[in-house]
Amino acid sequence: MKKLPIIFILTAVAFIPSCKQDFINPNASTEAQVFSSPTGLTGVAVSLQRVYSVSRLSPVYNTITASGALTNEFRLLNTGNTDEAQLFTGGVTVDNLNSIVNSLWAQNNKIIYDADKVLAGANALGDKNYASGLIAYTSIFKALAIGALSNFYEQIPAGPGTTSTPATFQSRLDGYKRAIQVLNNAQAAVAANAISAAFLSNIPSGIDIPNTLNALKARFSLFAGDYAGALSAANAVSLTVKSEFRYESANLNPIFETVTGTNNVYQPLDSTLGLPVGLQPDPNDKRVPFYTAINPSVAPRFRVNSFFITPTAPIPVYLPGEMTLIKAEAYARQATPDLTNAKAELDKILTKTPAGDPFGVAAQLPAYSGAVTQATLLTEIYRNRCIELYMSGLKLEDMRRFGRPTTERKRNYLPYPFRERDNNSNTPPDPSF
Amino acid sequence: MKKTKPIPKLNMKTFFLFASLLLPAVSLLAQVSISGKVTDSKNNPLSGATILIKNSAIGTSSASDGTFVLTTNLKIGQHAILFSSVGYKTQEETITVSGSKAFTFNINLSEDISGLDEVVVTGTSLGTTRKQLGNYVTTVKGSSLANAATSNAIAALQGKIAGAQIIQNSGDPAGGMTVRLRGISTIGSSSEPLYIVDGVIINNSNARVTNTTDTYDAAGAVGQNRMIDINPNDIDRIEVLNGAAASAIYGSRANAGVVQIFTKRGSSGAPQVSFSTSIKSNSLRKRLVFNRAPTKFGGSPDVQTQDILTPALTNTTPVTRYDYQDDIFRTGIGTDNNVSVTGGREKFKYYASANFGYNEGIVKNTDNRRYGFRLNFDQSLNNWLTINGGINYVYNATNEKPDGNSFYSPLNVMTILGNFHDIRTRDANGNIKAVGERGRINPLSVIEDLKQKQSTSRTISNLGLKMNVTKGLNIDYMIGIDNTAQNGTTYYPPYTYNANTAFFGGGIGLDPTLNGYASSANYTGMFFNHDLNITYSTQLSNLLASTTQLGYSEQYEKTQYSLIHSRGLAPFVQTAVAGSTILPPSDVRAEQSIRGAFLQQNFKFNNQFFVTLAGRLDGSSVFAKENRNQFYPKVSASYVISDAKFFSESGIAKKVNNLKFRAAYGESGNLTGIGAYDRFNTYLSSSYLGRTSLGSFSTRANDNIVPERQKEFEIGTDLSMFNNRLLFTLNVYNKKVEDLIVPNLTIAPSTGFTSERKNVGTLTNKGFEILLTGVPVKNKNFSWDVTLNYNRNKNRIESVSAPLIQFTSITGASFGLIPGLDAPVFYTTYFARNDKGDYLLNAAGFPQTERGNAITNLPLRDANGQPSGAVLRKATGSPNPDYTATLTNSFNYKKFNLRVQLDRVKGNEVFNADFRTRQGVGNGSEFAEKEHMGLLPRGYISNIYAIEEWRVEDGSFTKLREVSLSYNFGKLNHAFSDLTLSFAGRNLVSWDDYRGYDPETNASGQSTLLRGIDFGNVPIPKTFQLGVTAKF
Repeated sequence: MKKLPIIFILTAVAFIPSCKQDFINPNASTEAQVFSSPTGLTGVAVSLQRVYSVSRLSPVYNTITASGALTNEFRLLNTGNTDEAQLFTGGVTVDNLNSIVNSLWAQNNKIIYDADKVLAGANALGDKNYASGLIAYTSIFKALAIGALSNFYEQIPAGPGTTSTPATFQSRLDGYKRAIQVLNNAQAAVAANAISAAFLSNIPSGIDIPNTLNALKARFSLFAGDYAGALSAANAVSLTVKSEFRYESANLNPIFETVTGTNNVYQPLDSTLGLPVGLQPDPNDKRVPFYTAINPSVAPRFRVNSFFITPTAPIPVYLPGEMTLIKAEAYARQATPDLTNAKAELDKILTKTPAGDPFGVAAQLPAYSGAVTQATLLTEIYRNRCIELYMSGLKLEDMRRFGRPTTERKRNYLPYPFRERDNNSNTPPDPSF
Repeated sequence: MKKTKPIPKLNMKTFFLFASLLLPAVSLLAQVSISGKVTDSKNNPLSGATILIKNSAIGTSSASDGTFVLTTNLKIGQHAILFSSVGYKTQEETITVSGSKAFTFNINLSEDISGLDEVVVTGTSLGTTRKQLGNYVTTVKGSSLANAATSNAIAALQGKIAGAQIIQNSGDPAGGMTVRLRGISTIGSSSEPLYIVDGVIINNSNARVTNTTDTYDAAGAVGQNRMIDINPNDIDRIEVLNGAAASAIYGSRANAGVVQIFTKRGSSGAPQVSFSTSIKSNSLRKRLVFNRAPTKFGGSPDVQTQDILTPALTNTTPVTRYDYQDDIFRTGIGTDNNVSVTGGREKFKYYASANFGYNEGIVKNTDNRRYGFRLNFDQSLNNWLTINGGINYVYNATNEKPDGNSFYSPLNVMTILGNFHDIRTRDANGNIKAVGERGRINPLSVIEDLKQKQSTSRTISNLGLKMNVTKGLNIDYMIGIDNTAQNGTTYYPPYTYNANTAFFGGGIGLDPTLNGYASSANYTGMFFNHDLNITYSTQLSNLLASTTQLGYSEQYEKTQYSLIHSRGLAPFVQTAVAGSTILPPSDVRAEQSIRGAFLQQNFKFNNQFFVTLAGRLDGSSVFAKENRNQFYPKVSASYVISDAKFFSESGIAKKVNNLKFRAAYGESGNLTGIGAYDRFNTYLSSSYLGRTSLGSFSTRANDNIVPERQKEFEIGTDLSMFNNRLLFTLNVYNKKVEDLIVPNLTIAPSTGFTSERKNVGTLTNKGFEILLTGVPVKNKNFSWDVTLNYNRNKNRIESVSAPLIQFTSITGASFGLIPGLDAPVFYTTYFARNDKGDYLLNAAGFPQTERGNAITNLPLRDANGQPSGAVLRKATGSPNPDYTATLTNSFNYKKFNLRVQLDRVKGNEVFNADFRTRQGVGNGSEFAEKEHMGLLPRGYISNIYAIEEWRVEDGSFTKLREVSLSYNFGKLNHAFSDLTLSFAGRNLVSWDDYRGYDPETNASGQSTLLRGIDFGNVPIPKTFQLGVTAKF
């Protein structure tokens, strides 16, 4: 009995495991683990597509929304959506804390940062065929992110910075050139080592890598004023292949999720698609009903359609029609304009039938019959870009490039987020418009 | 992983073997019997008084009639016997043992109004008198919780603790509570105090087993916190330490203060049965007035529900206006039943209790039920060793509705509707119908069909040993485990009408893959702690005594949270696997440990002057090895000047009974300031299109992070005068938190991250607490006690590395940390004003948002005197009050007691999101009604809707917090040894100018930073309670 307490204490002490102080995190992989293995690198690359295309924070949502709001494509349904409302009002109302302004900036910079780490890791891999897939796939999102920044901001970070050495800035045109360089490097990697099937089985289906590399190169070359480059890249794109962001029930189409599904944010302006008198779509243009649905009973009458009509509808990365229009514009704008070919390409768009487009975007109109001058053709090309590429997020860039009057849009460029300005003294002054 | 030994670890096995050699030789003993009766100054028997042989573990406690018998073996020689009871002065008697003998004592304990002789356990293992403390400790007796008309122990403490702001964040029957002791002590982690029940560090988590949808309610710490599992009826007393200066013994876990709860223990003698029962009614304290205008703008409600914010609509349509409050609220009934038995013999004592509580919420179909069992025992093994233990099992189940911060909360679905829809009409099949054209949820769907339930099974167990090894040397050891298993389910049945897919509806086409939502979530938490304390007390000279204490403690926590959920439900099936669309599941696990050792030395000079020095070494696993172990010093002193000879001989002593001065300085660290693995940069895996996506976080982690260090200096005085008829306590403190961890320090997004978790800056809380108790009238039949508790705290960000750090919440509330201002402030857009402070109107005659230079943040005016430039933001308020105060009046007339408690909170602001929503959707009576009636120009609300300052308003209030009237029959026939009847009310009246239900609310729950948000939260009910307490 006397020894009982001592035995008890000793037992108790012996039973208690001495508390450890180093625990392994079972919930997530560390940076070191992720960037040292092919599966880790692939996982991060896949996340780039997710960040770019899923949710209200994604560049897909915010480029379509910001461009559409600033260029009169949409009507706002509820000013309670204050961030969207600011863009619809435009001008100085768009403030530096606007969440769309901030998401566009932050998400695209994030993609560029993680893409650089994947590219560095891929270059160090032994399996060069797997590596070339990683490089090509990752480069698509890096280029899209640089392009999205160049579309909406006057100057963009020339590369990721650190807290001690903040990023320096480059002009948006240099940004487009940098995006083209990223795509060139990707094409070189693929040319040297074909993409392995093993890599392709680890990424989501939907994106056609070789065609997307060329299509984006064509787009950014045009924006950067390199018409020869735009023409050759656009010619290399197959017009019968789809390349698209796909969705599933757990990762919904972001425009459907926020806009179509709620009917509480915005809807298409109307059947003019927001174009001014003189440029408005032909009443017989089948692209208008393609892009807008009609609700005869409940306002508003014109509703989002096409690539945003169901929760899991895929959204094209680019449209084949964009390639044809790039060719038309490049012919029309090149140093020695080739108006004949420009008109021929434009006519392909005007006379296209649903069977002639993998996504079914088809005007089904007669060929162009107006005057064939550089100016008139460019105006017609602009009009057709606005219709063919409705809700693609490119209209703001088109308006500036085609020199449309500023009264047609709410801002030229977005202001820089305070988050950047407060922490990076290299941040340029906000554009006045 | 390699094991480190950062702290010199006590080898306990060796220690105990060594200690056993020191055991006293068991010889020269005589059996003595000590018996008698303990009474108070009015000769009423005192039950539960402690009778203890000094410097030993031998003791007993008095039975309900005050009698006690203690039979034990004592060494030949002199022994002191201590008679004590909470709230009474301890009395000491001496016996001389020469052989077997019986002693009888009839002890009359006088009430210790000044509390100086009250024994306080918190901060020491053996207890010390309040006299010796260098810092203030509040003690609340369990009996004062009984008439608070709430079954939540923390709610019952409202207004009863110096330096505390206790907020009920939600009026749900199991709604969350926040306790802030001397302001917030951190930014990014919990600032709730450490809760200890009978030595066990208990879990007070807010596990999100319900409210699991991630679309709308991700911010904050909403829902129940686990302190609701503690039954107030089991509580003997609660001690509250406010800060670092006091908390060396609990180390760094006590950074935000300590609330130590002691449950009732057994007493020897005939078993005594106590029974109490009460019935409650809960109802809505204040009804809001909604829009009564006879028309709406635009067309029929069925095609155009949103009218106010579309100023282009100027035509009007006659409508019927509804008040949906009757569809949401009801009067809820509650009951609380407790039965307990105490008893034992001199070597074994027990307390056993069972309780059942049921409480209906004021929102229809919500309730909470709690079943609890407790067994406490004390066993003396011999005259130098006792064992004590306890086990508490609780089952707590709730039928709830989504909390605020979610668009499905019963209040939000009401707030967001224009009140011109008849929500009660049904279709031909009896189904609830759609509301308007926008896919809004019909409130009746939430009330009738939406099921949200959770339940918790929990066991708190403790076992302790107390050894009086030899005279002056005491060792005590305790081990405790708190094991919690909590699970929650939600079920939103597929809607039969067009409900927005963002609200888990199926949209216009009732898409079956999206319509409806179900979830099942589980949380398990195991909290383990054990503590060893060795105390050596000795009299160094006639005047100087010393107490040395060496302690070691370890704490370990293991938690796991898992969630499965899906949408697009099969008809009738309610489980989370019924959905055709499986949403991303969660499985989050964490382990962490803290260990620390301390050495504390106390000197007592002439029982008048006391000095304590302590040092503590603590290490937490959440920090990197290099930063893990930190040293925290503490020093305190107190001087009871009234016991000094010059004082007691002076004339003042006739008026001043007691006067004490004290000072304390202490440091502590926030060892749980970051999550278990927050110092690592990680990539989170999720399923995406059938592949694995590894996503990077937006916040950059930082391995160099160190624990926040708190330095607190406190001085105070305790004064009692006029025969203890007037008591005054003043505490003045300066609490400084250095190396403040900011979880989202903004960094340039071009770095790849938008924020960083980093040690930057300093936070202070400076203030004072006054406790004034007076007894204006006291005679044989009548007494009147008044207590004023006034707490003023100025919370301030002294520095952070940026001019502004912003935090946003889903409610649209934007918080900022700005040097020189409160942590946090509401940082919002604001109205442009002219020199006179009136609204500067725009050309159309509407108030407008202030604009100016975005860099300097100063307003600019254009040529017409109108605001120009970028939209500006500024601090427009803070959820921190200037002061809190409580005035309690207690009247005793014969056997009647009337107690009235008024609580005041002054100078805080609330972000009233609901107010603005009501105006925007057109159901508000404050502005929307006026715009509909033409009393405000059309477009007024739409023009100012985006100005965030409109939502910030004064949250000051004075509440009639508690009223109770009780009658004590005393001993009644032979049936009852004691019988009390009581009638009590809680939160009956609030005097405030608030444009909502109640400014005391927080939709972000127990969040440290996101506070003062009114967004769809259930208001705190007014409660009436009728109760009977009987002893047999």
